[in-house]
Amino acid sequence: MDYILDGFKQAINLIISFNKEIFDIVFLSLFVSTTATVLASMISIPLGISFGIKKFRGKRLFSRITYTMMSIPSVVVGLLVAITLSRRGPFGRLELLYTTKAMIIAQTFLVMPLSFGLSFGLSKSRGKEIQKVAITLGANKYQSIMLIIRELKVDILVNVATSFSRAISEVGAVMIVGGNIKYHTRVITTTISMMNSMGDYPMAIALGIILLLISFIVHSAIYSYSKED
Amino acid sequence: MEIQIKNLAKTYGEKKVLDIESLNLEREKITGIIGPNGSGKSTLLNIIAGLDDKYDGQVLYNGELIDSDIRKKMTLVFQKAYLFKRTVYKNIAYPLEVRGVKEEKIKQKVLELLKILEIEDLKMKIGSKLSGGETQKVALARGLVFNPELLLLDEPTSNIDPEYIEHMEKAILKYNKENKGTVIIVTHNINQAKRLCDNIIKLERGRVIN
Repeated sequence: MDYILDGFKQAINLIISFNKEIFDIVFLSLFVSTTATVLASMISIPLGISFGIKKFRGKRLFSRITYTMMSIPSVVVGLLVAITLSRRGPFGRLELLYTTKAMIIAQTFLVMPLSFGLSFGLSKSRGKEIQKVAITLGANKYQSIMLIIRELKVDILVNVATSFSRAISEVGAVMIVGGNIKYHTRVITTTISMMNSMGDYPMAIALGIILLLISFIVHSAIYSYSKED
Repeated sequence: MEIQIKNLAKTYGEKKVLDIESLNLEREKITGIIGPNGSGKSTLLNIIAGLDDKYDGQVLYNGELIDSDIRKKMTLVFQKAYLFKRTVYKNIAYPLEVRGVKEEKIKQKVLELLKILEIEDLKMKIGSKLSGGETQKVALARGLVFNPELLLLDEPTSNIDPEYIEHMEKAILKYNKENKGTVIIVTHNINQAKRLCDNIIKLERGRVIN
């Protein structure tokens, strides 16, 4: 038991002493996951909403496939992106593998189905009513979608936060395409995984606490905003 | 404008909910559609509004099939109106904003409608937080603000206070007289139909009875 308590004590010390290595890792994690979430949201939210309100043949099957894709394993996404970016792959010439950019690409693809599926479901259930009103007031397709986004902004923000949580907490994709290179592609989750296998618990615990804190801050901010709305 | 309906049939599965051989809804008149629940009144209104395009037959607006351009000339106020999560002023301004009307003109029109419907005190309140009666008045103001050629009303005054009904009826009559607007109103209230309408159509099991 002592080694766990010691681990916690040392972890707290590492955090309050602003250990440079830890905070470099945290900032890189935040940068990669925030960028991926923003990119994925910009593409998937308008698409998900427009597919949600659209009537088309095979929508039921499309819904099932969409919801299945929401839980795509991160290692599968990492593998696919790694294959694509590897030297022999179609984008090998760009030399992106084991870079931050590759990690952003992998997390973007990981988060896109989740963000798309959540927006699709939201729009299917509540977007139609708003669209109906928008049409009767003279809005075109683009104006209807923008109105739905504005009306459902709190739910959409929750979707964005969920996507961010998925991105920042995943380990498989960033490990495969980033390679966990110190001061280069090492992020919170890959470090925790590595420290655990090395038996270096204080740093792993410290990063775990920070990861939980980030999640708490993001969701608290959204909760406060939704209360105001 | 005039609405002509020819051989209109609408089915849900096996059930035929509308079966109208021929019906003309006259321009610049207020036409009331009455009938029991499930007689197809709201379905007819949705078809005229262009919200439902799965039907057989023809619905013509001044002799033309209803498309997105024609849809912009009309509006539909629902029985349970949905107001946006923004101020009443912004709710009423929305149809003018999507039409690219200048801010000055928007302000003038919105203030005019707030006055007509006696809801000036609600101007800065959030639309989605209003009572049922207030919501219906704001929805009517939002529908009237761009002077539509055709105003479709789906039981807009059901379950609201008599005082509010009076304000709304006044606004509908004013719009019909001053703007030469055509109105089609679905109502359960025969007295309201008599007060407002030039013509009354009765629907029963999807067919025009009178």
